[in-house]
Amino acid sequence: MSRAANVADFEPGQILRALEAHHVQYVVIGAIAAIAAGAPILTTDLDVTPARSRENLESLALALRDLDAKLRSVSAPAGVPFPIEAEMLATADSWTLSTRAGDVDLMFLPAGTQGYDDLRRGARRERIAGVVVSVAALADVIRSKEAANREKDSMQLPILRRTLEQTRVRGREHHSAT
Amino acid sequence: MVSGDLLHEARLRAGLTQAELAKRAGTPRSQISRYERADVLPSLETLRRLIRSCGLDLSFRLFNADLEEHDATLIAQVQSLTAEERVDRAVRAVKHVYRRE
Repeated sequence: MSRAANVADFEPGQILRALEAHHVQYVVIGAIAAIAAGAPILTTDLDVTPARSRENLESLALALRDLDAKLRSVSAPAGVPFPIEAEMLATADSWTLSTRAGDVDLMFLPAGTQGYDDLRRGARRERIAGVVVSVAALADVIRSKEAANREKDSMQLPILRRTLEQTRVRGREHHSAT
Repeated sequence: MVSGDLLHEARLRAGLTQAELAKRAGTPRSQISRYERADVLPSLETLRRLIRSCGLDLSFRLFNADLEEHDATLIAQVQSLTAEERVDRAVRAVKHVYRRE
């Protein structure tokens, strides 16, 4: 499947519904979390941080099987099948996957964070594509992207910081008006 | 910088010859050469795929000359929406950008 086809199939709501159907504990992070917070950016994938408990990894494996998840690979555009088992998911800190609903990245330990419990503290419950999910705070998204220090993150950081600043100003104005 | 320059720079940064990039991307070497010379303009999707084959990525933003004001306006517009509307709008926009060739 080409990149364009992956993007054409990108339906984050379907991915979230699969996770919810199996009661997976996770926080939406990355660009979708930033977009939900009001950042005017685009993305072609969904990033989530799942909890790492054994029970949660088993639920996560079920959801990923429902989504026909495969390993994402430049050299194999159709994706590479892999054993979607809790034991397998426990062996890495991150997984970059393609699914029938588009690309999803599992980041158990996003840079600059301590993972699910850390991100859950500042997360908000938001409705996305008809599903109410936990979404990481924009400040945490920025913290992680600063720590990751990748070129694409560096390019996004100014607009994310600006969004956070305007959100805070707007919040203060709203607070003083009420 | 035009797309040919971008591709050329990405290939050099990756330390690849045109033949090596051609093999990695599954694109004829002669076509890579045409892209780099700007004899042929690749689509955005093709350019991004080739740059990804170099281990790099291509990102893009729309902006006005007055970037600060533009960003502030854009953020204010987006913030007038709900979280669900923001994500829906972004997903529709990215699909539009990546429309199948």
